Amino acid sequence: MSDIQAKIMEFIKENFIMGRSETTLDVEESLIESGIMDSTGVLELVEFLESTFSIQIDDEELIPENLESIKNIVEFLKTKGIS
Amino acid sequence: MAALVHQFLEASALRFPDRVALLHGEITATFGEIDTLANRIASLLSRIGLNRGERVLMIMENSLENVASYYGVLKAGGVCVEVPDKSTLSEASYYIENSGARVCILSKGSAQRLKDIAVPFVLAPAMTFTHKGITTFTWDDVLQCSGDADDPVQDENDLAAIVYTSGSTGRPKGVMLSHKNLCTNTASIVSYLGLDDSDRIMAVLPFYYVYGKTLLNTHFMVGGSIVINNRFAFPNSVVKDMVDKEVTGFAGVPSTFAILLNRSVFAKTEIQSLRYVTQAGGAMAPALTQRVLQHIGNASLYIMYGATEASARLTYLPPERVVSDKLGSIGIAIPGVEITIRDNEGNPLKPFEVGNICAAGSNIMKGYWQDREESEKVLKPWGLVTGDIGHMDDEGFIYLTGRKKEMLKIGGERVSPKEIEEAIFESGMVHEIAVIGRPDEFLSEVPAAFIVPLDEKTFDLEALKAFTGRRLSVHKHPRDWHILRSLPKKPSGKIDKEVLKQ
Repeated sequence: MSDIQAKIMEFIKENFIMGRSETTLDVEESLIESGIMDSTGVLELVEFLESTFSIQIDDEELIPENLESIKNIVEFLKTKGIS
Repeated sequence: MAALVHQFLEASALRFPDRVALLHGEITATFGEIDTLANRIASLLSRIGLNRGERVLMIMENSLENVASYYGVLKAGGVCVEVPDKSTLSEASYYIENSGARVCILSKGSAQRLKDIAVPFVLAPAMTFTHKGITTFTWDDVLQCSGDADDPVQDENDLAAIVYTSGSTGRPKGVMLSHKNLCTNTASIVSYLGLDDSDRIMAVLPFYYVYGKTLLNTHFMVGGSIVINNRFAFPNSVVKDMVDKEVTGFAGVPSTFAILLNRSVFAKTEIQSLRYVTQAGGAMAPALTQRVLQHIGNASLYIMYGATEASARLTYLPPERVVSDKLGSIGIAIPGVEITIRDNEGNPLKPFEVGNICAAGSNIMKGYWQDREESEKVLKPWGLVTGDIGHMDDEGFIYLTGRKKEMLKIGGERVSPKEIEEAIFESGMVHEIAVIGRPDEFLSEVPAAFIVPLDEKTFDLEALKAFTGRRLSVHKHPRDWHILRSLPKKPSGKIDKEVLKQ
């Protein structure tokens, strides 16, 4: 697992999974459909990505293709030069 | 006008059997198709012996199956108990026990999370539940049902729904709404919004929430259509759907609009088909209202106010008055509702005098489920005491100035701090606890917890967070945790939350 992926997973576990031990994190699973994150959760995630990796994420980029799953997020960060 | 809620669907299925009534991603369904599916669900429920007035628990996100189940339960003479699709096992168990539901309808997502649920009958996508003795039915079983069960005897005063809402006593209370309550409120909303069969509403609000449910019933009453989009987490996908599916209406709570305007392409997108926008679910800051007005083109903005106990709607602010002179008001009473401002003894107050906002009309609930004491506190001879404080001007426009009860409003959803405090207390790890609301840009308010550990040396905050996480839905989890030696007290010994807020 890359450091980037580990950081993202740690953030999600700490902020959204709290205590729900039955919840597993599958990198390809939709974070929304699985009930891990809701609409404000996505915004918190975006703020985390912006501050942790010192990047700017535009409103146009807030789409499922970039943020739906951990895998998508890692790929999206690559397009921002973070890998 | 329909006397029973499911007659909205039945009447539109007769008038427009082949017209598309529901759009959800790639899925579309006509009134005829939805009515047939609802009839099959009603048949299945009759087959397992559902009695008139019996409660059916529904834990589902918005979907075709959800809509058909809602009307199917009502056709079978049952009472819909719809609760948040993200309910935890602990919350779902409370709803089952409190409502006495023997039947539970689950979506794929909720079924996977609630596989340990204990209830005699479950309708859900094919999967295995851990409890022995559960009889499960799948959607294939529904499709095998004939759908021609006899209509049960029903009356407009029969219960149609129990909607759980946070009460001051901690655990959610069930608001009992009759068919008459819902039908009259639906007709009133249709009249002041001027809805007709050309209207198509975008529904991002969940149907378990009364505001969300009004979107469904109003549009099914007039033969209009509804677009379901459960992906507001990606607001741009909702904006695109609004353009592609040519919606004429959009409904949101203040946080919906904050997210749309601050983190989506909504402000840069022209939605030509949009005719009107509604906002309810808590006071929206006038500055945000102004921004919404700037970005909805020629569409009208309706500011509205209501309560679960009122089937949903109590007042609306006519769009022209938002712009001209009444910004900041929640408007006037909707047709069929009378609003009065009264003192604590129930005496009516004069214009501009601040008091309890009270409401009378055939949309007011029958009471709280199995809770006469709480019902009597709010249902008075002069109507429902909403718990909100405000005044009326000399033209009958109402202004909210506060809430009597100490409730949090998290993203439009009313949450009792006591419910959160009790869940944390049950951990056995804290000596004292107080939960207050902290202002939040998007959700209006989020919970913040102030705790005094029982044993400072062994106290483990992460373990407490984990315990709370298992007990409460995500939106009720405290965002901030403050560990203190003691909590500030009033002379009476009660915790002084005003000090904590500073």
